[in-house]
Amino acid sequence: MAELLQALLQRPNFVVFVILFLWGIYIMAAHPNYVKKLIGLYIVQTSVIFFLVAFSAKDGATVPIVSAEMASLEAWAYANPLPHALTVTAIVVQIATLGVSLALVSAIYRKYGSLDEDEVLKKVE
Amino acid sequence: MSSQLPIFLFLVPFVTAVAMPILCAKRRSWCQRLTTGAVSVMVVLSVINLRVVLSEGSIEYAFGGWTAPVGIAWLVDPLAAIVILTMSVVALLSLIYGRLVVTSKLDKSVQYYTLILLFIAALVGVVFAADLFNVFVFLEMAALAGYALVSAGGGKALVYAFRYLLLGSFGATLYLLGVSYLYAATGTLNMADLGTRLPELMTSTAVVSGLVFVFLGLSIKMALVPLHGWLPGAYANAPEAVAPLLASTITKVALVAWVRIEYSLIAPGVEVSHVPVLVLLEYIGVLAAVIGAALALVQTEIKRMFAYGGISHIGLILVGVSLGNSTALAGGLFYLVNDAVMQAALFMIAGAVLHYHGARTLDDLKGVANRSPWLTGALVVVAISMVGLPPTGGFFGKWNIVLGALEAQHYLAVFAVLASTLLTLGYFLRLFACWFHQPVTIESERLEVAACLRVSLGAASVATIVLGLLSDSVVRVLLESLAS
Repeated sequence: MAELLQALLQRPNFVVFVILFLWGIYIMAAHPNYVKKLIGLYIVQTSVIFFLVAFSAKDGATVPIVSAEMASLEAWAYANPLPHALTVTAIVVQIATLGVSLALVSAIYRKYGSLDEDEVLKKVE
Repeated sequence: MSSQLPIFLFLVPFVTAVAMPILCAKRRSWCQRLTTGAVSVMVVLSVINLRVVLSEGSIEYAFGGWTAPVGIAWLVDPLAAIVILTMSVVALLSLIYGRLVVTSKLDKSVQYYTLILLFIAALVGVVFAADLFNVFVFLEMAALAGYALVSAGGGKALVYAFRYLLLGSFGATLYLLGVSYLYAATGTLNMADLGTRLPELMTSTAVVSGLVFVFLGLSIKMALVPLHGWLPGAYANAPEAVAPLLASTITKVALVAWVRIEYSLIAPGVEVSHVPVLVLLEYIGVLAAVIGAALALVQTEIKRMFAYGGISHIGLILVGVSLGNSTALAGGLFYLVNDAVMQAALFMIAGAVLHYHGARTLDDLKGVANRSPWLTGALVVVAISMVGLPPTGGFFGKWNIVLGALEAQHYLAVFAVLASTLLTLGYFLRLFACWFHQPVTIESERLEVAACLRVSLGAASVATIVLGLLSDSVVRVLLESLAS
């Protein structure tokens, strides 16, 4: 137990990620309101992006620009640009998803006059 | 020039999609022609591409000249070339068929055709991508276009599209999480590169949970039982004109992506804490194949029945690719190509029946056979292929899977193929019982079927037979590409 606690305390970023991730899933599953479901989805997506940023963080690293004059290359001195590129792309995908989903939610609201899943499903059937 | 073919296959639909709002803003009637034209060019390019790949071997396309693993690469092997050819032919047929059933509001809509082209372009990306993150981006691009296309049906479709969006985006997020686990553990995203680094890391929990998340994410996308909840509602309510395209492509490309990952990352016989991974996947496939077909048997709505049929086939293909020998793998992949064609044909029939006879459920179908001989013929051909009788493609796919299962001595897989075949026969008998039912009042007037339906449906049913006749050479090509 003490070992587990120690392991968790040594990885605060990971703990935050897990809490956010599960919290988002809970909101998605438990709330009948469509907009709240979207918020849950957004939290899940953001938690994964947080995870990507967190594991690629590096203390005291600098911008990864390599010039021809440099004789040797020490990888530890530079931040890894790839996870950040992934993060930006994932954020773009997330925004696109959010746009499409908000358009859908507003279309559902115009059609059925409600954002509550139970009410809408009742009207659909 | 031929080395640039893969990127042209992507750019043709993509550039057309982007240019469409400008070109067609004033002339709405051009949208349909322009889209059909772009997809026809794709069909021609993918035929050339297949020939080049078969004669000169796989193309590794490095973007900007940066070779993998530093740069982003596409890999065009015979499998990808065959799948792309199938997808573009199916897309062309769906577009031709779409002229019959498309509502005039959608037909005038630039957005609708732009979405179709974006969807097709994204499929090309998923199939060709050789690194995990590219697969994510293109899958999401296809999925976003897919959500919008489903919701274009309006009404009920909106609710089902939203459900699809929630589950689909959640799946994509799980996939991204899995990819970041794998990246954190290995420092690379390229599949071939990962394949060389993973075997010694299989004891690491990060790698194992990464693979689990990747599989979970993709199995939502490929509608693997029990994560298939979004599919039947979405396909049953999508606009008639795109249902064949969606049904035949999006779950299959997710499966193709998984096959690539499984094939390059998981060596046969790998065990994680004494659980053989491939056998576990095979059991999941067995469950999906049997449960999907059993659910299809109890449906009363035609489209939902076909959708569940597709879900059961995903399970069958997963069984085939997870048996760990090349016969079954080639059989599974061949079945995947067949399944794309069959699903397109089935949803065309379901849409045509709704269009001409207003039939949505099995009970509405009574007496259709008397009035639509053309539809009856196509349905019989596709049904033979779905059940899996020679000389159709469906038979040879299942045959190779069974042969591979016997070779591996996995009798459960043999049972799954046979059980799902029997259940498929069961639900087609139910369908035929209604279809050939003689109504009391006989309206013997024959229905004149529109030319575009004849072309699309005829070509799709002929394709299932042609695939059966060509099965030997296709399977041999697949086997050779897997061996190298």
